[in-house]
Amino acid sequence: MRLVLATLAAVAALAGIVGAAVVFLGLFDTSARKGHWKITDWAMHTTFENAVAWRADADPPPDLDDPALIELGARHYDSACKMCHAVPGEQASATIAAMVPPPPPITRAVQPWTPQEMHWIVDQGVKMTGMPAWPTAGRKDEVWAVVAFLAAIQRGMDAAGYAALTAPAPQGYCASCHGAQGTTRAPRLDILTPEYIADALAAYRSGARPSGIMAHAVAQIPPQRDSELARALAALPGPADPQPKAPGIGETLAGAGRKGVPACLACHGVSNENPRIPRLDGQGAEYLRAQLFLWRDGHRGGAARHPLMSAAAQDLTDAEIDALADYFARK
Amino acid sequence: MAGEGVQGPRSDKAILPRRAVCLLPLVLIAGCTGRQSALAPAGEDAAQLKLLLLVMLAGAVVLWLALNGLFYYVTRIRPGAFHIRHANRLIIGAGVIFPTVLIGALLAWGLSIMPGQRAPGDGLVIRVKAEEWWWRVEYWPQGSDAPITSANEIRLPTGSRTELRLTANLYIHSLWIPALGGKMDMIPGRETVLTLHPQAAGTYRGQCAEFCGASHALMAFETVVMEPDAFAEWLRAEAAPAAAPGGAGAALFRDEGCGACHTIRGTDFAGTVGPDLTHLASRVSLGAGIMQVSRDDLKRWIAHTGDIKPEVAMPAYDWLSDADLDHLATYLEGLR
Repeated sequence: MRLVLATLAAVAALAGIVGAAVVFLGLFDTSARKGHWKITDWAMHTTFENAVAWRADADPPPDLDDPALIELGARHYDSACKMCHAVPGEQASATIAAMVPPPPPITRAVQPWTPQEMHWIVDQGVKMTGMPAWPTAGRKDEVWAVVAFLAAIQRGMDAAGYAALTAPAPQGYCASCHGAQGTTRAPRLDILTPEYIADALAAYRSGARPSGIMAHAVAQIPPQRDSELARALAALPGPADPQPKAPGIGETLAGAGRKGVPACLACHGVSNENPRIPRLDGQGAEYLRAQLFLWRDGHRGGAARHPLMSAAAQDLTDAEIDALADYFARK
Repeated sequence: MAGEGVQGPRSDKAILPRRAVCLLPLVLIAGCTGRQSALAPAGEDAAQLKLLLLVMLAGAVVLWLALNGLFYYVTRIRPGAFHIRHANRLIIGAGVIFPTVLIGALLAWGLSIMPGQRAPGDGLVIRVKAEEWWWRVEYWPQGSDAPITSANEIRLPTGSRTELRLTANLYIHSLWIPALGGKMDMIPGRETVLTLHPQAAGTYRGQCAEFCGASHALMAFETVVMEPDAFAEWLRAEAAPAAAPGGAGAALFRDEGCGACHTIRGTDFAGTVGPDLTHLASRVSLGAGIMQVSRDDLKRWIAHTGDIKPEVAMPAYDWLSDADLDHLATYLEGLR
């Protein structure tokens, strides 16, 4: 018995010495030139596949094939992801191709996965590869936009389709999502004040308003240009004005509230002149709906006044959110 | 007051602690005076409850003395065996008949005065709804078809019986104005009734008497009892729209969205989520009996609601500058 224990202790000590030698003497070669052994590659990739299969459980939204959602995902991909995964019909740069492991081109990368699995990978990232997690936690809703785009790739989007979807807007980077040619999943900005937009940019920057898409987008712009940008964005031409207002639950709720829900129009109506409270009339219905869910479920941050809206929305039902989004989407 | 009861002569330090302990109940008794005391009744119902308490107490004292006297008698004065007939008489007479008669009489009397606590009102009905740590109050004068809405304060006339119809929003609360009457639970989805007949004008404190959540201890109110003429005069003023001042404060009240939750009659502000503020400045207290309607307290409340009253629904407007808070306070102080 003593012999067994002594042997085990000796082996453990030896393992410790070898481990320390690897760490402190630099015995392990961290060069990326030669890549991994085949068996290391196999072990790591199989672990990754099984880890994803086990954990991916988010339910996809019913409108995963909505063209506006696909466009939002494509625009974000074009800005944040294509550097590594390239676009359909192209290859990443030689620099990217030299990564270990090399990021697969997007048409190949999406092949084996279900939407749930792609959602988990984009949201969580992959350790020991270059694949980052989504920049903010708690915004699983945003990740679905990218998944919608990836599902479109799976369905065979080609280079021409991609180029059509991600064509830059003449007014610049921001206008490719916001504005007359933008996707309806991104808010129109022409109905907002420069003050409100500047506050929002600062909140995205600080993380007070969590959004992976916007955190990436504002990082493209130096902060000292925020106020100038806010003025330009507020002047960006918006989409054509939508349907006129119609009576219904939305109108009643907006105008008078109900038990536990304050009247929306007390802040968002025309009589309120606070430039730091957004006008909503004519805003995109899908955007409003998504934001109201975030507000109600406690995932929406913002500038100083955001606690007002968190409190106001906490009692809303799903049906009321739909009705309010429809009411405010009209003008 | 509370402190005076425990101040004894400092003659002997060794026995002082023991003496101080003996005097401790006096501290509690000191709480039985003033504007929140069932022992200082200012209404018919509270007076009857006080009488009930005193009679019950007297009955209990008689029982206690008789029982202990009997113990003393059989152990000290006449120890030893009793004749079987005497023993039976003692047990049946002092152990069964005497307590049955005494407790039966107290019970009969106690039950006989209960209907008085639920006597019908003389006309005025006040509906009180317990919200999350404040009180929604509606006055329904006899024959009226719309209420006069107020909050966090109950006014009652002397000399007549007023009916309080009580309910609650989310949790079970209890309304208690010790100087005027008993408690009555307030239950979501149900209406309970309490009637009160105040006799002496004055201001009496009421309190939620059923643990209801984070700010239960901060859920109080003032009850202002007025002579009938003064009450009628006050009710007329309360029914009128606010003499709302304009200026920077009114614009801030609008632009910060205060009207989404608060009503000020006579203006566009018509929210019903929070307390009606129409005549805020003529109320005795702020924040459901916990602060004054003063400039400092108004400013402190608006900027720090949750710190002052945990889990209150109103968000803290901590982004407002001191100047803005001043403007708002000026506006609110003008709501008479």
